[in-house]
Amino acid sequence: MDQVLADAAERIFRDQCTKTTLDAAEDGEFPERLWQLLCENGFQLMAMPDSGAELADLFAVLRVAGRFAVPLPLAEALLANRWLGEEFGGGETNALNTVGLMAENGSSRWLGVPWGRAARRIVGVADDGGVFAGTPVAVNEAVNLAGEPRDQVEVQDVRPLPYAEPAPALLALARVAQSAGALERVLELGIGYAQEREQFGRPIARFQAVQHLLAMVAAEVAAAGRASDAAVAAIGSERFTLEVAAAKSRVGESVGLVAEAVHQVHGAMGFTYEHQLHHFTRRLWAWRDECGSEAHWQALLGRRLCALGADQVWDFLATSS
Amino acid sequence: MLQFDPVQLPEGTAALRQEVRDFLAANADRTSAPNSDFSSGHDAEFSARLGERGWIGMTWPKAYGGAERSFFERYVVTEELLAAGAPVSAHWIADRQSGPLLLGSGSEDQCARYLPAIVQGRSFFSIGMSEPGTGSDLASVRTAAKRVAGGWRVNGTKLWTTDAHRNHYMIALVRTAPADGNRHAGLSQLIIDLAAPGVTIRPIRNMAGGEDFNEVVFDDVFVADADVVGEPGNGWSQVTSELGYERSGPERFLSAFRVYVEFVRLVGADPERFEAAAVGRIAAHLMTLRRMSMSVAGMLENGKAPNVEAALVKELGNNFEKLLPEIARTAAPLGGDQERFRRTYAETLLLSPSFTLRGGTREILRGVIARGLGLR
Repeated sequence: MDQVLADAAERIFRDQCTKTTLDAAEDGEFPERLWQLLCENGFQLMAMPDSGAELADLFAVLRVAGRFAVPLPLAEALLANRWLGEEFGGGETNALNTVGLMAENGSSRWLGVPWGRAARRIVGVADDGGVFAGTPVAVNEAVNLAGEPRDQVEVQDVRPLPYAEPAPALLALARVAQSAGALERVLELGIGYAQEREQFGRPIARFQAVQHLLAMVAAEVAAAGRASDAAVAAIGSERFTLEVAAAKSRVGESVGLVAEAVHQVHGAMGFTYEHQLHHFTRRLWAWRDECGSEAHWQALLGRRLCALGADQVWDFLATSS
Repeated sequence: MLQFDPVQLPEGTAALRQEVRDFLAANADRTSAPNSDFSSGHDAEFSARLGERGWIGMTWPKAYGGAERSFFERYVVTEELLAAGAPVSAHWIADRQSGPLLLGSGSEDQCARYLPAIVQGRSFFSIGMSEPGTGSDLASVRTAAKRVAGGWRVNGTKLWTTDAHRNHYMIALVRTAPADGNRHAGLSQLIIDLAAPGVTIRPIRNMAGGEDFNEVVFDDVFVADADVVGEPGNGWSQVTSELGYERSGPERFLSAFRVYVEFVRLVGADPERFEAAAVGRIAAHLMTLRRMSMSVAGMLENGKAPNVEAALVKELGNNFEKLLPEIARTAAPLGGDQERFRRTYAETLLLSPSFTLRGGTREILRGVIARGLGLR
């Protein structure tokens, strides 16, 4: 994995993803400057086949993006360019491309399209994982519970793309990596606030009840990070989809526990719009349901294990590393 | 931020894994009542057979009968034994922590006297930490040793000593000097022969009906100088350095594993969505925990002392061991052949209160993690 890419991305995110930018994006303003900076540094091309980067690098960047609640459809923009390829205009200009879900196979109405309103081209993913290119003609604006645009888009010129990748699993892995990063940030916020907030004459970090909450949070965040790493490491292997299933499930479970606990640590302050915590926790709550909820992926993984049978379950678990 | 780096099992572990599975198949009579809880099956004969195969003290020096193999190879053997529900508790403590303690802090003479028999699966050790007035607050132990010619006289009581009535030795944490303001000072670890005069062992029945743990009373028990582990007074730092070994292994998340196997069997090849999701949810936990536990094995292999990481794995693993039977119970179908599932479930549920107590309570572990986070 290329640490240089992740570090370069982190510098840009740290600079640009201020509370003001996050608030403005939630008010519907596309973060043009951030996007142009990323393009100037070539990030929009990094998932394209001849970019020189590994696909794993994309997920390393997405994890960093999660730490900063980057208000762009970064995963979708980069994967759209990959799937469109040069032939269908992927990465041709700095214009934004994105990915949505086909309402039903063959339909020209695509749903949950991140920043569909700002996109030049859109990739639609069908139920069976097939990917199609489309050009937006009409947009019905909508947002997820974090205020991230998830538009409904009418498209035309729909054409199948010659890509044989497990698109649904890659999109789910994007949410896994983003969530792993956001969870790390939420833990940091919780620790920081507990050390600075004083009650009864001392920092609340000194109270055992708060320490235990944050210890539980740290354990959940570590588990989510390890699950995410494992799924990224499985890219290209025959178990990839099952590893993503495990990671989406495990990370989703962490999200519920961590968000609840760190809000409790922050008290009323973390419940205000003014505080930054909600930009992370609301994304975490949204992302755990996007690209397949825990139950969806658990059932997929569980069916495979049931088909293998009780006496083969251990072998399945022990042959992953 | 706590780091759990991925580890790749080295070449050759696949062959070793197969050897263990072949061994288990050949010894199926010993695992006919599978229970993946590491402290629930004491079988001296089974331990001796493992010893013959070289699977006890695997990482130890050849000079003492060990095989100088890696922590990863030991990991593979132990996880295979646990997953199969093999009876491993006789040699478990000696292999996991008494041996490594002697290698790290003991004398050459102690290693030469004790390790070869442990490796053969013929010498079994118990942990002597808790007392009637000492649980989580370990430094408060009151069992005391007084200086006498050639050694020490020990008086006091140890409690919850698993398998003291079946094992040969206890390594006991005792006070050999007054605390004098520093309660971590003046503590020492002694190797006590459980058959020595003055040792009285009373089994304590647990709520599951088993008699595995004991009260052990010492009445003027003589311990020779040669059986003090390390320097007298160094007991506290020795005890805490055992914890990386004690807290992160596969036994910290596999105690309920056989419930899962029987749950999958009950659910069958063509589950309802709800049942399939329960099967997948448990698998997702297991896959992640196993990887975190192996990451800690990697740190141990590299000579680190990952006490905070180990506490974190134990905390997650123990909570999961309690969650597993609950997920299975609530998702279990009504029909089918219920008997095996119900029996394994009931056995595990009755043992489950101990999961978050033994080896450090949840509360102590969370304190260790909090300290690692800089909160105390």
